Amino acid sequence: MTTTIIKTTTRLLAPLILVFGLYIILHGHLTPGGGFQGGAVVASGLALLIVAHEHKKVKELFERAPLSQLESIGALGFLGTGLLGLAGYTFFKNVIANSGFLFGGKTPIGINPGYLNTGGTLAYMNIFVGMKVLAGLTSIILIFFLILKEGEK
Amino acid sequence: MNFLGFFEIAQILVGIGLLVSAIVAIRFKNLVAAVIAMAVFSLILSLEFYLLQAPDVAIAEAGVGAGLTTAMYLLAIKNTTDEEVIE
Amino acid sequence: MRNALGIVVFLAFTFFLLTAAFEIRPFGEPVHREMDNYFIMHAQEEASANNVVTSIVFDYRGFDTLGEATVLFTAVAGVLMALRSRGVKT
Repeated sequence: MTTTIIKTTTRLLAPLILVFGLYIILHGHLTPGGGFQGGAVVASGLALLIVAHEHKKVKELFERAPLSQLESIGALGFLGTGLLGLAGYTFFKNVIANSGFLFGGKTPIGINPGYLNTGGTLAYMNIFVGMKVLAGLTSIILIFFLILKEGEK
Repeated sequence: MNFLGFFEIAQILVGIGLLVSAIVAIRFKNLVAAVIAMAVFSLILSLEFYLLQAPDVAIAEAGVGAGLTTAMYLLAIKNTTDEEVIE
Repeated sequence: MRNALGIVVFLAFTFFLLTAAFEIRPFGEPVHREMDNYFIMHAQEEASANNVVTSIVFDYRGFDTLGEATVLFTAVAGVLMALRSRGVKT
């Protein structure tokens, strides 16, 4: 599957797909999309990169990629952000909103253009879930690629 | 043309496209072509979700259905045979 | 015999689907809309997000998302555990 057509298309398309996925994750509390959708888009971009390269190159590129660590950090971070609400309120209470912390700006009520520095815990949860989905789906694709190629030899 | 007429015509076209791509995906004997037909099915389905004003579901469907499962099926087919075997 | 049974089942299924399609309510006019209106009116001040869908997914229905994340984590862990044992390291 590593013809010149696929390689050229990947070189042009993969950066666009990755940037679009990161945009969907970061703007999850403003525009349609969110952690899962953005993570799936980023993972499909990485799958394009995996499929379009040779076995040796993929192995040396992704050997030190911290996919398992990203998955664990995502899951624990999501749970921890939910547990933050237990500090005085209930589970999953949005405590960072309107507090002045990062992503804690004042949310305007009514129709507004949308400001990135709002959202509270929702933005953090989007980032953690996106991290987790991207690491999980990419590692599934990667292990399919590596193990099936190993068995062929 | 008003909006409602355009909406109904788009619905009918999307339905026909879904039906054709699903039948084609079942009927193809070459498995790579069948997988590509399934990717087209997922893409038209995401267009349908977008027309029904659910852009979140449309993005998820386009990413998972048309991107990741196609890559997985292609990786699995590449390492086996790409013709349907009837025993 | 089997073909005849298949055709009968197909016709009955088509009849029910067509009946449902003609009896459906117009697009954008559901029967119950109190909950939708509540979410649309109150999501911005209660969950502080412009995107109402995200505020439902991560705030009002946070437990559902937690379960979904657990399902995904378990699936990935199972796949990696089943396939990792052949000397391939990710």
